[in-house]
Amino acid sequence: MSTILTPEQWRLVSPYLDQALDMSERERDAWLESLRATDATIADLVQNLLDEQRALNGERFLEQGPVPVAGLNTLSNRSIGAYQLIKVIGQGGMGSVWLAQRSDGRFERHAAVKFLNTALAAGSGAERFKREGSILGRLCHPNIADLLDAGVTADGQPYLVLEYIEGLPLSEYCDQHQLDIDSRIRLFLDVLKAVAHAHANLVVHRDIKPSNVLVTIDGHVKLLDFGIAKMLADESHPGEPTLLTAEGGGALTPQFAAPEQITGGSITTATDVYGLGVLLYLLLTGRHPAGPLSRSTAELVRSIVETEPSRPSSAIALSAADSNAENRSSTADKLRRKLRGDLDTIIGKALKKEPGERYASVQALADDLQRYLSSEPISARPDTFHYRAGKFVRRNRTAVSLTALAVLAILFGTAATLLQARSARRQRDAALRERDHANRIADFMTNMFKISDPSETVGRGVTAREILDKASTEIEQGLADDPMLQAQMMQTMGTAYLNLGFYERSHFLLERAISISKSAGGPENQVTLSCMNDFAGLLTQEGKYADAEKLQRETLEVQRRVLGPEHLDTLITMGDLSGTIALRGDRLHEAEKLGREVLEKERRVLGPENRHTLIAMDSLAAILGTEGKLSESEQLGAETIELERRVFGPDHLLVLNTMGNQADTLYLMGKYPEAQRILQQTLDIQLRVLGPDHPETARSIYNLACVAARQGKRDEVFSLLDRSIDHLSPRTVPKIEGDPAFKPLEGFPRFSALVERAKRRHPVQGAMCPL
Amino acid sequence: MDDADPKFSELPSLLGAAEQGDLVAAGKLFDVLYSELHRMARRELAKHGTPVSLSATTLLHEAYLDMAERDSQAFPDRARFMAYASRVMRGLIIDHARNRHAIKRGGQFEITSLEANVMDHAVQPQELTQISEALDELAQIDASLSEIVDLKFFCGFSFAEIAAMRGVSERTVQRGWEQARIYLHRRLRTDLAVE
Repeated sequence: MSTILTPEQWRLVSPYLDQALDMSERERDAWLESLRATDATIADLVQNLLDEQRALNGERFLEQGPVPVAGLNTLSNRSIGAYQLIKVIGQGGMGSVWLAQRSDGRFERHAAVKFLNTALAAGSGAERFKREGSILGRLCHPNIADLLDAGVTADGQPYLVLEYIEGLPLSEYCDQHQLDIDSRIRLFLDVLKAVAHAHANLVVHRDIKPSNVLVTIDGHVKLLDFGIAKMLADESHPGEPTLLTAEGGGALTPQFAAPEQITGGSITTATDVYGLGVLLYLLLTGRHPAGPLSRSTAELVRSIVETEPSRPSSAIALSAADSNAENRSSTADKLRRKLRGDLDTIIGKALKKEPGERYASVQALADDLQRYLSSEPISARPDTFHYRAGKFVRRNRTAVSLTALAVLAILFGTAATLLQARSARRQRDAALRERDHANRIADFMTNMFKISDPSETVGRGVTAREILDKASTEIEQGLADDPMLQAQMMQTMGTAYLNLGFYERSHFLLERAISISKSAGGPENQVTLSCMNDFAGLLTQEGKYADAEKLQRETLEVQRRVLGPEHLDTLITMGDLSGTIALRGDRLHEAEKLGREVLEKERRVLGPENRHTLIAMDSLAAILGTEGKLSESEQLGAETIELERRVFGPDHLLVLNTMGNQADTLYLMGKYPEAQRILQQTLDIQLRVLGPDHPETARSIYNLACVAARQGKRDEVFSLLDRSIDHLSPRTVPKIEGDPAFKPLEGFPRFSALVERAKRRHPVQGAMCPL
Repeated sequence: MDDADPKFSELPSLLGAAEQGDLVAAGKLFDVLYSELHRMARRELAKHGTPVSLSATTLLHEAYLDMAERDSQAFPDRARFMAYASRVMRGLIIDHARNRHAIKRGGQFEITSLEANVMDHAVQPQELTQISEALDELAQIDASLSEIVDLKFFCGFSFAEIAAMRGVSERTVQRGWEQARIYLHRRLRTDLAVE
């Protein structure tokens, strides 16, 4: 229901509306929700106006000026310089293009005259336009369409005269000829030659997109419109113009803009590297890195600046996979495997948000593609590297460590705490019953302890696994008449199994814990919720990230409402969620934001040396590393390790995890000897504390293999893989084959045998291989 | 008004008074600028002898240069000139659209040369008038919002240009633009629904 607002209403709502317009949809929803709690009227009004905005976007309200831009059809037969206009052959955001003919009869050949939809300030503007034009006119390369002339008509309309090219846009050409991936790359290399030539002449294209790259009938690539965006830049603007400026704020969708073109950063050759990355992405996957383009310009802009694109190998599976694959003379599955690994890495590097992290030159990009074609190792390092996946410490309220003693202590601790709390609470009315329970629990625990009785163990120390096995089989009956306690004990044991790497038992116990506490305490009970988060942690560990995220979001929503936004359980779920999002890899900015929020809150609520605060630091460092913010990650990681060592001692599991993460960051930075040193330190402790078969231990050995591979130590790689491959967590296994570090080993029978061995151990299931 | 130089010397005091809320001064200021822009447009027309495409932005830039050349005191700065002149330009464009609509051909000048089929996509004069009325209303509530619409929608300035004029970020201008669109949309569409 829309009614006209009174001026007073408008003045009141306007500041809120302004705030809302600066948010993403998701932020906005949360914000509106909290606003609604304090002022429902304003919140409704803002909501109502935002709905209005959606409607007006739909009808493109005021998007077109009151008078259309120059109807150039009237120009037919007019002469522009030495060219006579024949007919309009194109009309786009930048202006219209005419087919023209030299009017002085000196050349037969046709030319294209492009009128630009921009008014230039008289005088210096026109001069500059011509000057820029003459610089571009000097670019001479077989893959660049010649710029024959540039000028400004008497009425101030800038125009360009270009070599007339008859051809198809690159992507259409490739689809039409059903070119396979390698042929597409070879054609793309011609594009790179052209851009490299321009860069050598200090010309940046600034607007690389499929419609600017044509392929002629005889298969020659021709780039159009070099440097034109710059010619349109107005010198009177401070700083670099953004694409939006260059287009006069027009209807252009900045689909192919680099982040710095949107934010107004400096435009360099790296801008073209990004544009080329987008083009290659499109060419190979049939999709745009920013996802479907049916969204509003504002959303698109946001996604270009903030969102990490999905890896090309995942993108192809998203939609129209089969027709995309068919156009590439392949199948969806083959295509995915083809793109996974090096091509993911190469495109990822070209598409870095930060210009400094992209390929340093177009030539460097071309070199890597060339290496890819000839099956040599590429120079770019993958930024998501398999062991990213293990980096995020799952948290739970009871710090389950891994020694037998610790497991016992925790099981006892849980029981004791619960008993104390309850007897305090229900002393008066249920003292007797409680005592009875207390006895039962004591019996139960004592029973568990029997396992360490020398008569029951045969000449060796008891393991945590043995204690857990015994406890978890007895708990079904042992505590059946106290379901909440039973659920919590199951939760504790479930997470202990999870930490020990026994996922099946963990799965069983956590699921039982949830269902028992749901029926005894209800779906919004604190224990139910924390069990749900632990279960989500297990899903993450199994690589089922999407399910994990969904469960964590559900849990978080209820926890925020029931326990409050700064309750420890809420913060724990938030922290775990940030890890899951980071593992999914497509919304790293969101993960970072969430990670920072958790860290900030925990520092404030729990203090800077609290265990949870330290985990939040570790997680944030890992997220930053995943995002490619490597030096920030390295710094935070070092700080965290130091604090954790001081607080927990050097052998603690958390220290090991942070060290593993730090090794990862160093690896990505190319600091292999340092990465190796820290991995070796981690491994020594793990061998002592966890033993050689633990998945975490295996992970360190596997990671050492990656480092060795990067250093070209082939024999060492084989022996390290041989040591670790049987004990890797299931989620690492599918990644071995695509890990770019091992590219040089492909084709070695020893390597194939190792991969087969890993696969036999953990056959890939659908849900286990996340996008 | 004719082609004689308007009294530019009056401008600073008119501007001062208008900014103090003097409606008479504001009206006079409007007239001076209107005749100046109109004069410029006709001059362009005379120069080319045929219907010619002029962009509002160019016209405003040139008017400012022209004015500054003849009297450097006329307007204290370009940004303020643009803010005022864009409002004036709105009037000029709407008048022009009305004329063009009424006469089809032979309007005094063409801001752009329109093909019949292109006309269909242009905003109709009737709607332009409604937008203009709603904008005047909005100017009373938040002048900076209505100014953005004059500069962007009517005169074709980009967000970046407006941001540079005002010394604010592009994002800020964009948010202002969105707010103004929401305001206008509500005003116009609700009116229609009521009618």
